[in-house]
Amino acid sequence: MKQARTWGSAALLFLVTTVLCGVLYTAACTGIAQLAFPYQANGSIIEVDGTKYGSELVGQQFSDDDHMWGRVMSPSTGTFTDAEGNDILWYGASNLSPAGDDFANAVQDRIDQIHAAHPEKGDEPIPSDLVTNSGSGFDPHISPAAAEYQVERLAKNTGKSVSEIRDIVERCTEQPQLGILGEARVNVLKVNLMLDGILQ
Amino acid sequence: MTDELLEYGVYLALLVALAIPLSAYINKVMAGEKTVFTRVLVPVENVVYRCIRVDKNEDMGWKRYLVSALAFSAVSLAGLFAILMLQGLLPLNPEGLPGLSWDLAFNTAVSFVTNTNWQAYSGESALSYFSQALGLTVQNFVTPAVGIAVLFALFRGMVSEGHPGLGNFFVDVTRATLFVLIPLALVVTVVNVWQGSPQNINDYETVQLLEPVGVDEAGNIVDADDPAAVETIDQATVPMGPQASQVAIKQLGTNGGGYNGVNSASALENPTPLSNLIQCLSLLLIPVACVFSFGRFVADRRQGRAVFAAMFILLLAALVTIAVFEQMGTPQLAADGQVYMGLDGQSGGNMEGKETRFGVTDSSLWAAFTTAASNGSVNAMHDSFTPIGGMVPIILMALGEVVFGGVGCGLYGMLGFVILTVFIAGLMVGRTPEYLGKKISPKEMRMAVILCITTPLLILAGAGVMSFDPATVDSLNNPGMHGFSEVLYAATSAGGNNGSAFAGFNANTPLINMVLGLEMLANRFVPIVAVCVLAGSLCTRPKVATSAGTLSTSNAMFVFLLVLMVLLVGALTMFPALALGPVAEQLTMVL
Repeated sequence: MKQARTWGSAALLFLVTTVLCGVLYTAACTGIAQLAFPYQANGSIIEVDGTKYGSELVGQQFSDDDHMWGRVMSPSTGTFTDAEGNDILWYGASNLSPAGDDFANAVQDRIDQIHAAHPEKGDEPIPSDLVTNSGSGFDPHISPAAAEYQVERLAKNTGKSVSEIRDIVERCTEQPQLGILGEARVNVLKVNLMLDGILQ
Repeated sequence: MTDELLEYGVYLALLVALAIPLSAYINKVMAGEKTVFTRVLVPVENVVYRCIRVDKNEDMGWKRYLVSALAFSAVSLAGLFAILMLQGLLPLNPEGLPGLSWDLAFNTAVSFVTNTNWQAYSGESALSYFSQALGLTVQNFVTPAVGIAVLFALFRGMVSEGHPGLGNFFVDVTRATLFVLIPLALVVTVVNVWQGSPQNINDYETVQLLEPVGVDEAGNIVDADDPAAVETIDQATVPMGPQASQVAIKQLGTNGGGYNGVNSASALENPTPLSNLIQCLSLLLIPVACVFSFGRFVADRRQGRAVFAAMFILLLAALVTIAVFEQMGTPQLAADGQVYMGLDGQSGGNMEGKETRFGVTDSSLWAAFTTAASNGSVNAMHDSFTPIGGMVPIILMALGEVVFGGVGCGLYGMLGFVILTVFIAGLMVGRTPEYLGKKISPKEMRMAVILCITTPLLILAGAGVMSFDPATVDSLNNPGMHGFSEVLYAATSAGGNNGSAFAGFNANTPLINMVLGLEMLANRFVPIVAVCVLAGSLCTRPKVATSAGTLSTSNAMFVFLLVLMVLLVGALTMFPALALGPVAEQLTMVL
């Protein structure tokens, strides 16, 4: 008898917590978020003249000479498709061991690619985040050192002056929060939207 | 360099400063005393008791308490399994995702009911909003509540003088959920959203790519103007959904299962260094508070401080090791000086698998916190840590998740080690083993040993079974020694109810889903049984007066012995396996 009551209470508690923590909690959070921070709560989407160019928080792959490059990415298809069944791009991390040969080869390929596009830099060492994959696979940022490394190439290929490029980079740079938290970082998508004249 | 050191200091200081007041609050809540939320939440609490037909004044003996905990977990397991299998038929599924395969549903349901949150699936592409919010999020709340409940049952057994009652399981779970977890989760959610984490039930956004890419015959991504391209892709996805709310409780409840496959490395889950601070503190906040709660509960705060000191020493040692090796990087990355690894204008060090906004500092802190706690969420890919940097998380998990550990379960695991230490120290000096004024008899010792060796036994068994199957090789992402580390990490993560991964390892095969599922179940419930038996046995023992012959369990010598005992058990069981994986890889790298 007691056993049956215990199991009954257990089942009922499962249902009650599903309502409390699943439905009510999620609804309360969504309500507060949508009222207080609608831009963030809906994905920080950069929309200009009706076109959605991406989320501030999801990086895209850039390899054109007139665009700033971000972290190394491994884009793939097959994870998502749109309503018509067309492939949509999605990303993942490399998960390579940084002590392995596969990794050493990948880094060397990237170094060669960067050297080829930045002849003016000569043998100057390349900032480490420019030659590595990120944790998420879609890191939207790059370090100020990695941005500065590309400034002369961007000036050469966009027709803008070096100081104009530096100004754009500066406007897309966030400093460590409260002075000490995290790292200074440059939002690559925003820089490229400004370089293309889409974002002011 | 000073900035980095300052940041490490801020994290550690805030953690302790917040945990101490929280510990006082938790004790009041669990005793049903008046708190700031009494007026708002007690009526809700009473409604819950009426709904689930429980008399809140009913006291349970250890058997009833145990059966209640197991019954609740069993019902949760069945319920979550059903939700995952039937996902395709349930509402709130804008992406039209199908139900999971039976082995993946089993693995996932077990993983969340055991507070592990091992993820053999990728959340944003495999689970509907219904499964995420009504399935997983609910377990993220109730499993830490079960941990707190069982821990307090043990506390009550330890201080009781002959009274057989350990409290009421249903009341304990309800109070922990309502008064502790929900309010904290609301605060963390709001900060997360403010910093940029999505919280909605919209369809996924599809956005225009600034640089379209091509896909060749074989499905590889190439330049859009490459002649081999047979298709052009000009759209990317931005996953939406109720992310912030689930992320908040996944951190606070030492759950760790990310909304997205890449967990808190995703800028959608963890957008800024400030959100990182809040989430990282959430990883360890309640487990640290539990230790101070213990001192308050047994009315001798020095006991809590001694256990805290032992755990904190181990945490610091782990953190320093990870930070040093990650900041050094590897020769493969430095590429003979072609890559700049210094700190000027960048984080430097081993940036593979790390996010720019976090750098080495925030990533090392997170790796140490998440594996000290049995949380297992990640903000960087542990698979891409340096060999030694990646070995430390394995050790933290393999020690039995007792360096603060999971909510509730970390401390009851550590109390197993405390009893073991008391016993061995007593043997060394020829005294009767006593803890908190109670004699330790063979029965208590048996339970303590079960608590101490369950995790390492399960890890070695799991890693052994997977290594025997030739097909496991297909799951590896890296060859050689690092490949073995991937298998070992998976077995350790499941055996420690942690849930983090060397994520290159493809764990979604029927065999691995089953092996890890069984490991997770055993590591959650064997200790719960042992703790309830232990509490039941302790509460009947009379208190003995302290004498000059009583071994102190709150001085520096005892802290030293306790740390030694934890390391000894860990080293004896895990050293051979570690030597084959990360240690061998490190030696190969430097030689």
